[in-house]
Amino acid sequence: MQRVSSLIDTRDDDYRANDLHNRRLASELKERQKVARHVRPERDRERLRRQNKMFVRDRIEALLDPGTPFLELSTLAGNMAYDGEVPGAAQVTGIGIVSGKEVIVHADDASVKGGAWYPLSVKKIVRALDIAIENHLPVVHLCDSAGGFLPLQAEFFADRYFAGRIFRNQSILSKMGVPQVAVVMGHCTAGGAYIPALSDYNIIVRGTGAIFLGGPPLVKAATGEEVTVEELGGADMHTSVSGTGDYAASSELHAIAIARDIVERFRRPEKAGVDWIEPEPPAYDPEQLYGIIPRDPRVQFDMREVIARMVDGSRFHEYQPRYGQSLICGFARVHGYQIGILANNGVLFNDSSLKGAHFIQLCDKNRTPLLFLQNITGFMVGREYERRGITKDGAKLIMAVAGASVPKFTVVCNGSYGAGTYGMSGRAFDPRFMFSWPQSQVSVMGAEQAAGVLTDVKLRQLARSGLQLSEQETAAIRDPVLEDYRRQSSAYYATSEIWDDGILDPVDTRNAIGISLSAALNAPIASPHYGVFRM
Amino acid sequence: MHHTFDIGGNSHAIWLSRSAEEYRLTLAEDRSAVVAFVQTRDGEGRLTVDGSSEPIAYVVEGDTVHIHLRGRSYAVRYVDPLVALAVEADTAGHHIARAPMPGVVVSVKAVVGERVVAGTVVAVIESMKLETAIRAAQDGIVEKIHVTAGESFDRDAALVTLSREAS
Amino acid sequence: MIGRFSFGVVLVANRGEIAVRIIRTVQKLGLQSAVVYHEVDARSLAVTLADHAIKISGKTPVSSYLDADQIIAAALSVGAGAIHPGYGFLSENAGFARAVGAAGLVFVGPSASAIELMGDKIRARNFVARSGFPVAPSAIEEDDPGTFLDRARAVGAPLLVKPSAGGGGKGMRIVRDLAELDDAVAQARGEGQRYFGDGRLYAERFVERPRHIEVQVLGDSFGNVVHLHERECSVQRRFQKIIEETPSPALSTDLRKSICETAAGIARAAGYKNAGTVEFIYGRGEFYFLEMNTRLQVEHPVTEMTTGLDLVEQQLAVSAGHPLAFKQDDVRPSGHAIEARLYAEAPERDFAPTTGKVLALEYPKGDGVRVDSGIAQGQLVTTAFDPMLAKIIVHAPTRTEAIARASQAIEDFVLLGCETNAAFLGRILRDEGFKAGEVHTGYLDEHPRIAKGAAPDEGIQRRLLAAAALLTRPVRDAAHAVPALHASLGSWRN
Repeated sequence: MQRVSSLIDTRDDDYRANDLHNRRLASELKERQKVARHVRPERDRERLRRQNKMFVRDRIEALLDPGTPFLELSTLAGNMAYDGEVPGAAQVTGIGIVSGKEVIVHADDASVKGGAWYPLSVKKIVRALDIAIENHLPVVHLCDSAGGFLPLQAEFFADRYFAGRIFRNQSILSKMGVPQVAVVMGHCTAGGAYIPALSDYNIIVRGTGAIFLGGPPLVKAATGEEVTVEELGGADMHTSVSGTGDYAASSELHAIAIARDIVERFRRPEKAGVDWIEPEPPAYDPEQLYGIIPRDPRVQFDMREVIARMVDGSRFHEYQPRYGQSLICGFARVHGYQIGILANNGVLFNDSSLKGAHFIQLCDKNRTPLLFLQNITGFMVGREYERRGITKDGAKLIMAVAGASVPKFTVVCNGSYGAGTYGMSGRAFDPRFMFSWPQSQVSVMGAEQAAGVLTDVKLRQLARSGLQLSEQETAAIRDPVLEDYRRQSSAYYATSEIWDDGILDPVDTRNAIGISLSAALNAPIASPHYGVFRM
Repeated sequence: MHHTFDIGGNSHAIWLSRSAEEYRLTLAEDRSAVVAFVQTRDGEGRLTVDGSSEPIAYVVEGDTVHIHLRGRSYAVRYVDPLVALAVEADTAGHHIARAPMPGVVVSVKAVVGERVVAGTVVAVIESMKLETAIRAAQDGIVEKIHVTAGESFDRDAALVTLSREAS
Repeated sequence: MIGRFSFGVVLVANRGEIAVRIIRTVQKLGLQSAVVYHEVDARSLAVTLADHAIKISGKTPVSSYLDADQIIAAALSVGAGAIHPGYGFLSENAGFARAVGAAGLVFVGPSASAIELMGDKIRARNFVARSGFPVAPSAIEEDDPGTFLDRARAVGAPLLVKPSAGGGGKGMRIVRDLAELDDAVAQARGEGQRYFGDGRLYAERFVERPRHIEVQVLGDSFGNVVHLHERECSVQRRFQKIIEETPSPALSTDLRKSICETAAGIARAAGYKNAGTVEFIYGRGEFYFLEMNTRLQVEHPVTEMTTGLDLVEQQLAVSAGHPLAFKQDDVRPSGHAIEARLYAEAPERDFAPTTGKVLALEYPKGDGVRVDSGIAQGQLVTTAFDPMLAKIIVHAPTRTEAIARASQAIEDFVLLGCETNAAFLGRILRDEGFKAGEVHTGYLDEHPRIAKGAAPDEGIQRRLLAAAALLTRPVRDAAHAVPALHASLGSWRN
């Protein structure tokens, strides 16, 4: 495989300006993540200490094998919701190594609103368990939640993918033979009680952990019975009388030690066979990504330059290099694993759509996972293209994306608009993991375009009534729409709503994909089979 | 969670990782070293740390590795976290009086079932011709006596177990 | 050159390293060896080496080795003609010496009356004084209780007040200011009553920074007595010797001659037969008789290293009725010898006794290195007996070389499975005061840092942890369990 030859000049003004801009975005991301992860009002930290509880991050560090990476997912979930008062949606999820095994870690963050479940908290948990199911990853739950945030119950309780889905997913994991361990470090009340109950193994911390369908106040209100937390659902009772609990631990660290010992018992799954050789780092410095990504998102750039900074040895085997050039397709390796990359260098035309659909099938047959690097404004429109069948060609691409059996991974590098989002394996197409870069945008169309369209509609409406608007009045209609659109198409909004699995600093993408790939291979890869391609 | 080793009563947290055919020992505070060990004959081997190599004599006995290094002997004991962290569980409701050093039991002063107050002498031991009184650390009931007069014991051996009175 | 012995089998009424040492000489002389043993010593080296091993029992292991009847019966049962008592146990028990004789066996040691004389500290002291040899000025209360305090004051400060019935340092009080004499006397009396049931006291001159100098003597049954020069045993703690050497670095040639001849004179005056040691307190050019030990001493090997004599062989020859084969002038020691005692204790933890199992054992070898040991690989170390495990003895042309050789030997001594005082012994040998020959019996107490030592430095700790990590299964298994990708990424976080 030959190396990509780069045409970037790291000394030119554009490069330097981009570099400055993107480094600033990266450090802003790091700062916002740091705050979301660690900054808490002192009274919340103090309350944990009084309750003899560890901070969630310390629990996770004790759980994981030292000297191993942790890929945290959706750190900034909820960052643009609930007035910003629920950082991370009061949940920490991610892929880590426990006793040598890849696991999904799901932990309630009791330092945020007592670990209460907001609608986005539930969504984050469901997403973590969906990942566990799709990738056959064992789960370690660190339970310490105050329960559902009742004022918003309509948004997390009744629907199909709301809270009930957590317990459904747990049951399905168990049915699949993928084990779960729950460590009860707080009160698991009502619905929350089912997390340890539905886990294959659970551990209860004496004195702070408890499992009950109704706590003492509710029991007293319901039947008049007076009972203490320990008597009602504490470690000793559940591990020696009811059998709901498997192990009683004398402290959180003890519980974590037991959990690690349990995970050590899990059978090591056979990994799906994907072509692998010894890894090598990219030949080009990944930090050059900062200089390559344009500071103006409307400026086009060559995705090959991005690929060169992400893959092993910067080696890339391009497929159909002279055909459908607005979509780059080719083979490369990330941390030794061979993958097929699809990346946008412009809008999707007939030829690029066909090329993409073909390449996806090649990779599927070859058992090569797919990486989609999105920078797509959409499919080409116009009479000539419609006559050539752009709609059905787009449909073929979507059919291929949806049908591919190999694991798919998506990174939203820049813009991701309209049907292009779908054709390039957006969220709805079940990439095993989906990440965004800080400057990326996702919406049905660009903000300017959308604002323009909506303003035009409004102006025509008014024109029919004989009204003409001044520049100022037009702007008054246009600007709020523009503002709103920009906000809601930003990466931070998408990540807040958990439309992705997290924002990445571009230079971290290589490692994130490597870890994701390794995790994804815990599930077997089905044989290729598709729906009907409209020919 | 790191591994814990005890050397002479001091705890050390370490982690051993493996990369590209070499082992790396990580100590707390991110200090790490590339390490290797090769056995040369029974009970002897060559230890290499960051490239510098030297001979050692060693014996592995249960959880303890006894090492003779540069003219001195050491005992390095692996502390299983499940055991170390669970010790506290014992004291929730029980207190075990343990021997501060090896010796011989001179006499047992307590009787099973007897109620004692903190400070009551429950046994008298002798070590190096010094007699030591073993006292109850808290109020409670004598639950079990593990030794008899004339019996010898090692350091940390359980002598008497008290249970806290049910409140 | 030893002629025939009147006994063919010698029973060793002892255990541990001294039993092994005696058996080796017995076998060297072409005689048969027998040893008694308690169950806990069943697999000891002495039992393995001896031609005959007879099991004895007792309420405690120690008590069995004090059971004269069983021991004598054991000797008779294997046709032993002599019993060597070693040191400690019954070696200075006059009753036992008599019983052995009464049973028609030879007691390898002095006469029962010599044992009795020197066993009573006050009687011994009086005898030595009357015989014209130097004893520390003192006042014995019993002589005249009414004038005791005055006589004590007359001895002068510094003064040591101690219970006459006592031993082992209990009840002793040092008075440096005579104004404190009354209080000290009252306290000592109280302790004497409490510990020994006898409040009578005696007071004697206390030598500041005293050095413990002892002289090996040897007498035969024909009245010949020689001295085999001195040993210095000032490195001690709580009256337990740790390092002994010969010659003493403190003595001038004249003083050495004087002390040794005094010792020989005392032994001669007592009509002493067999091996014995006369102990002196020495300080600032003065020396006083302390006591005489009527047995072979633990540290006898240093004398053997410099004189080339086998003292056990000499004892057996004397006991068999032979005259000494050499005269005083024939005794010409050369070089310097040092003995270090290896104990099962942890000086770093206030000398707490240690226990364990001898998992690995390797002795230092080479020119001028001797190890007297009673332990064997696989043996359990318990608190049933005295904690001495072995003696490391070296010989070299000069004291400096002997110190270096001893340090090296201690480093080369491998004992794994039971903590010992080896590092402490090394620290003593490297101590500037010791190297300058400026120790005294309170030296270790004055320099507690030598005992305390220091925690191993970071480099050593790292090496120990590296070895232990690589040799401990759970640690190695955990390292192997992490997939290669994650091990290579280390603690990466996004």
